[in-house]
This record gives sequence, structure tokens and C-alpha cells, in this order.
Amino acid sequence: MAFLPSQRAHLPRVAQGGSGVPGTSAAPLPVDLRRAIVAGPFPAGGWAIRRRGVASGLLGGTVTSSVETITGGRPDAPPPARRPRRRGDRDAWPLLLPALLPVALFSVYPLLQGLYLGFTDSRAGRNVVTSFTGLDNYAALLGNELFWSSFRIGLIWAFSVTVLQFVAGLGLAMLLDLDLRLRWLARTLALIPWAMPPVVIAIMWKLLLNPNYGMAGNVNWLGEFSTALPAVIVVGVWAGMPQTTITLLAGLQSIDASLHEAAAVDGAGTWRRFWHVTLPGLRPVAVAVTTLDFIWAFNSFGLVYVLTAGGPGGQTMLPMLFAYNEAFRYGNFGYAAAMGNVMVVLIVGFLLFYLRSQLRRQA
Amino acid sequence: MQGRRLAVAMQGVAVLGAAALLGACATTPIDDEQGPATGPVTLTFQSLAFQEPSVAATKKIVDDWNAAHPDITVNLSQGSWDAVHDQLVTQFQGGTAPDVIHDESADIAGFARQGYLADLAPHIPAATRAAVPQGVWDAVTVDGKTVAAPTLLQTYVVFANTALLQQAGVALPTGPTLTWDALAAAAKQATTPSAKGLGWGLRQPTATVVGLGPNFDAKFFTGSGDTADVVIGDAELEVPRRIHQMAFTDGSLDPTSLTQSGTDVVKAFLGGRYAMIVAGSFIAQQIKEGAPPGFSWTVLPPLAGTSANQAANPQTLSVPADSPNVAQAAAFIDHYMQAQNLAAVAQGEWLIPTSAAARDAVTTATGGKDGWGATLAGADNLVTAPFQTVTKYPQWKDQIATPALQRYLANQIDLPTLRTQLADGWKQVAG
Repeated sequence: MAFLPSQRAHLPRVAQGGSGVPGTSAAPLPVDLRRAIVAGPFPAGGWAIRRRGVASGLLGGTVTSSVETITGGRPDAPPPARRPRRRGDRDAWPLLLPALLPVALFSVYPLLQGLYLGFTDSRAGRNVVTSFTGLDNYAALLGNELFWSSFRIGLIWAFSVTVLQFVAGLGLAMLLDLDLRLRWLARTLALIPWAMPPVVIAIMWKLLLNPNYGMAGNVNWLGEFSTALPAVIVVGVWAGMPQTTITLLAGLQSIDASLHEAAAVDGAGTWRRFWHVTLPGLRPVAVAVTTLDFIWAFNSFGLVYVLTAGGPGGQTMLPMLFAYNEAFRYGNFGYAAAMGNVMVVLIVGFLLFYLRSQLRRQA
Repeated sequence: MQGRRLAVAMQGVAVLGAAALLGACATTPIDDEQGPATGPVTLTFQSLAFQEPSVAATKKIVDDWNAAHPDITVNLSQGSWDAVHDQLVTQFQGGTAPDVIHDESADIAGFARQGYLADLAPHIPAATRAAVPQGVWDAVTVDGKTVAAPTLLQTYVVFANTALLQQAGVALPTGPTLTWDALAAAAKQATTPSAKGLGWGLRQPTATVVGLGPNFDAKFFTGSGDTADVVIGDAELEVPRRIHQMAFTDGSLDPTSLTQSGTDVVKAFLGGRYAMIVAGSFIAQQIKEGAPPGFSWTVLPPLAGTSANQAANPQTLSVPADSPNVAQAAAFIDHYMQAQNLAAVAQGEWLIPTSAAARDAVTTATGGKDGWGATLAGADNLVTAPFQTVTKYPQWKDQIATPALQRYLANQIDLPTLRTQLADGWKQVAG
């Protein structure tokens, strides 16, 4: 409650706006003081109180230090460069346990089991004994051309979906950020694809793209070799637009308007302001949303499974579909889990590279 | 600071990704060692019958059984052909498969080899066994065990829009069979600017190519089980070659239809866009239901190359080896196999019942109308095909044959390349 960073961020503004002349304790207390007090102490005074514990004079101490902060007391005290490690972390473990137990049971355990499965010869069969086979699966996978060609398709799909989704989502977000008429309606409509299950989206697009009675002309979008993957990518972009748009819209709204004003005063045109104010301001959000979009796109299954099931001629055989078939059509659970492991390692490696370069630029 | 943020981000990313990738693969086999049940038992029967009349017929069979057998209650559940294989893989693994499993013989051969299916031979009465030809029993015999009861058979038939054929001056073929040459000629003659002579839903081409292969004496495989080898010669390539020729040389077969499902093509057929379509006989039900007023159609005689043979891939009813009530489940299957019951389902599904008595019952009930005469005549041409007993056939079908045939039928590769891909792909799958 008291230590959320976003709330602490209110304090300086309150202090400036309310106290009038810094350093004068006689200045009238701001109306926002209660909020400021609840919001907790500003660094310098606060840490000591927190260390003293909850029971011992939290209220009194907090009020004193807050008033000190707000009214400009001890203005020279340097803010701590880094949060000292809290002893409370250790004490909190028993409280976290009820929340961690289901996570461990339903998330960590299956995850580890799945990882382990990739090193066994687990397969379908009655009373089949599963044995540890080390890296055999991976050696076999290395020579599996079909898997690597599906991996290549998966990368094309994930990259295209992520990039197009970002570009289209950014455009839509900037449009929705403008003060348009019926903006509330447009923003609501933009969310609709989110509310639809992937299978429903796929069936709907299948009908739209049907060459006999669809609305997209007489082109056999999902059946032609040259158009199947692009068509599936378009559907993928459409399905993922809402979360990208809404996240970017939130990012746009968090950019201080005064920066735009200042840039405009300095004579920057629309394009320059977009390039030098909007984009840098969006960077953290953009990095997060493209990272997630990439993972989601790479792992998406239901959409393409229903749209094309990997056809025609394996043109849309994403690695997820490939691994699914290996496990649930041919019953090679161990081999399929090994494919999953390889995909995780490669995707994590790629994202590590991406995030590192992005965060370095940001820092 | 940056390092830690990166580390946290990466942890989140790794957990998310890995969980999504692998969560579904984690399975633990469950072994329930239950003895034979005594007293009242409850069986689950998953039926895949999907056409309205056959769903009703199946329900009636179950209701009749439950009324006559208060101590063996059968619960009917509905499955779908699209999902049945994947569903059974997980259900067998988890020990939750239904007691009576509806599937087809090409699909259950793998399960039988994995030991999941009970041997029904001791439970099937001699009269039921004698009613079905031995060749059909062979299709459901794996390693000497009768792993299923064969119920219905599908053949590929040619449906014709008689009005369009007459307009084009094509005489309706009579005689016992329709040769591929005659089909190609009729399709060419019936092709007009507004309608193609032939539509053929081959989105999943392998089953059709392999099923019609015996028309030209195609084998596709020698041997059986794990020791099988692929054979791709001129005979095996004849069906795809002729389809390709009609689509890309004659221009009488709509290439778009080759990328669509049978159901999609039926809609275009009913809309008068094709004079003829080739499809499984069960499509008749959809034509009957969806035909606009005044739409006149018929089933042409069975297709023939060097013979009119087609591969017999019967629908099946099986019992899991782990079911505690194999005997009771087999008794229900025997009830299902009785001529009247089998005939009712077959009529609703527009498929050929495996027993002669049931075929006679269908003939009596329908009077041979709506193409039933030609459809039932196909029963004599069904032969056992080697592919059904090949363990790796499903994987070769999905990963090799289907994409390769799709490429060939989209005119992306030529016939020699198709041959190479089909043969080399087998090595990769079986290797």
C-alpha cells in the first residue's frame, strides 16, 4: 500500500504545488496532504521508519517525515542511489507460499516435466517403458529437414506478424489518441478482436477468404501456394492488433504533452516530433509489446491449425503445428518435447539479443 | 540496473515461452488394473456419425440396447472425425478412452500395434463374423488379432448434375463402370465458360489417391507393420497424373476445387458451377439436404481404370484393451452390427454396410433411388490395401504425401519430382 513507486511519484508535485514557499513550515498544508501521507515517505526519512517496523509509531513518524518532505525540510538530503535491501523480503516468504504453491504445482512442475521429456524416448503405447536417452532426440532433430523448414516458416510468420502488427498498431493507436468524435466507440471497436477466441477468428476469416462465396474476391487465398502464408499472416496481424494497439495507446498517453509543445516551439514539424519525441518516449512500451507479440506469434497454434492445418504443401506448417503433430498424431512425446526445448532455446536466445540491444540503447 | 532488468525480463520470457511450448506435452501414463466387472456396468460409446439421420439412427440403437439391457448401460457421446486421432492418442495415454471407439481401420492400425486395442475375436459370434466378407475382416486384423468390428465402407463416386450434362450433350453413362477416359471426355465436353466439367475437393488428397489407386492396381507399399517399404511406380502415379491432366491440360477440372474440402466443393456443385464432382459417397446426404428446388442429380457408375477396385477402409468399432468391460462392450458392438441397425446407420450416412444382409435392407428401404443402386454396387469392388497395415503410414501421409500431392496438384512440381518426393520422403519418415 504505502510503498508503490507510482504513488511516491506524486509527492514532488504535491510538494511544489501545495507548500508555496519551500522551507517555510508555517505555509498552509495542501489539501492533498492526506494522500501524500498515505502515499508514504519520500526516500530520505522513510527508510528508517520502515525499518523500525509497522507497530512502532508508523503513523507519527510518517506524518512527521512527510510534512518535512512536503514542506521542504531537509532539502539537501541526497536521495539514496539504490534501494537498500529490505529485510522484509525474507519475512514475507510464508505469506507468499499459498500463492506460490499453485504456481509450482501447475506451472513449474509441468514445465520441468516437459523439459525432461525432451531427453527421453517417451512415446505412445500401452505399458511402454520410458527411458532417458540423453541427446539422442536432438541428434535426430538436427537431421530433420522438415522441422527446420517449418522453423524457417515460423520465423517468417513471427517476424512479419510482429512488425506489421507494430506498424499498424502504432498507426491505430495514434489515431485513437487524437480527440476525434466517437472516439469512445472507435476505442471499443478496436478491442473486439481480443474478445474472440482464435478458433472463431479463424473460421470467420476462412469464410471471408473462401474463393466461392467469400468477400475477398475470387482469389483462392488460403489454397494457393503463393498467397497462403501472406493471407495467414494478415489474419494473425488482425487477431493480435488489440493488445498491441491498446498497449501503444497507453504508452502514447504517458508521454508528457509539454515535450511535444516544447519541441513545437523549437520549430519541430510533425514528422520530427514523431521521430524525436513520440518514438523515444514509446521505446520501453514498444520493446515490451514487440517482445510479447513475437513470442505469442511464434507460439500461436489454434489460428493456423484451423485456417490451413499447415497446408497447402506445408507452406504454413509452423513449428508449433509440426511439434503438435509429432506428439498427438504420431505419439512421439519425447521427440516433440525435444522440439519444444529447441524452440525455447532458440527463441530465448534471439530475444536475449533483441532485449539486450534495446535496453542498452535505452540506458 | 540494466542487467537486472534484462535478467528479470528474460526470466519472464523464458517461463512464458517454455510453459506455452511444453505444458501440453507433459503426460504420465495411468495404469488402472481393474479386474472384469460384475454387476451393472456403464459403457461409454463415442460415435462419429455426423449426418442428422445417422445420428438419430445411432441414438435409437443405443436406446434400444439400454431398454433391453438394464445391467449394461451405454452412454452415447459425440466425437468428430477431424479430432478423433489426436483425442485417442491422449485418451489412451491417460487411460480415459471410451469403452466403444468409433474410427476407421487405417487410423486404428497404429493404436493396435501400440497394444491399446482389445482382441475382439473371442467375443464376436460366428453369425456376425460370417455376415461380413473375410477381406473386410482382414482390414481390421493386426498381428493376428481382430482389433475392431468393420461397420461401414466408403467408396469414391462421381455425382453428376444431370441438367448440365444434358445441356452439354453428354449422354448419361450407363453400363457397369465409368472409365477414367470416359470421365475425362465427359468433363471436357461439359466444360463451358460458366461451369467446369468437374470439381474435386482434394484439400487432403492422400486418402483419395491411395483409395482410388487400386483402379490402376497401385500398391504403394510392400510388406506390413514396421518392415514395410514404399513402392511408387507408374501405377501408383496414375490417379494423380490423370487428375493433373484434367486440371491443367484439358482445363476441364477446376484447379481451385483441388485445394478445397469436399464440403466446399459440394456447395459450388449445388450452385451449378460443376457438371460433375468426385467425392466420397457420404456427400450424397449433403447434396440431398442442400439441393435447390429442381436440382437433378445422380450417381454415375463406379470409376474404373484397369479395374473398378478401390481400397477398403472400413469404419470400425473397437474396445480399449484397458477397458474393464471388454465382453460387455463387444456384446454392444454385436448389437450394432445386426443387419437392421447397420442398415439404418449406413442409410443415414450414405455409406455401404459391411454385411450383405444390411445392404439388402438398405436396398429395400431406399428402392435403389438417389444413386443408392450405384453406391451399393461399389461394394463388390472393395479390396484390402497394404497401406492400412503400415505403421508409419499416417506420418508419411501427413508429412510427405499430402504436401507433395498438394504441390503436384497445384502444378508446382512435375510428375518425376512427385515420384522422388514420395519415395525419398518415406526414407526420411521410416528412417
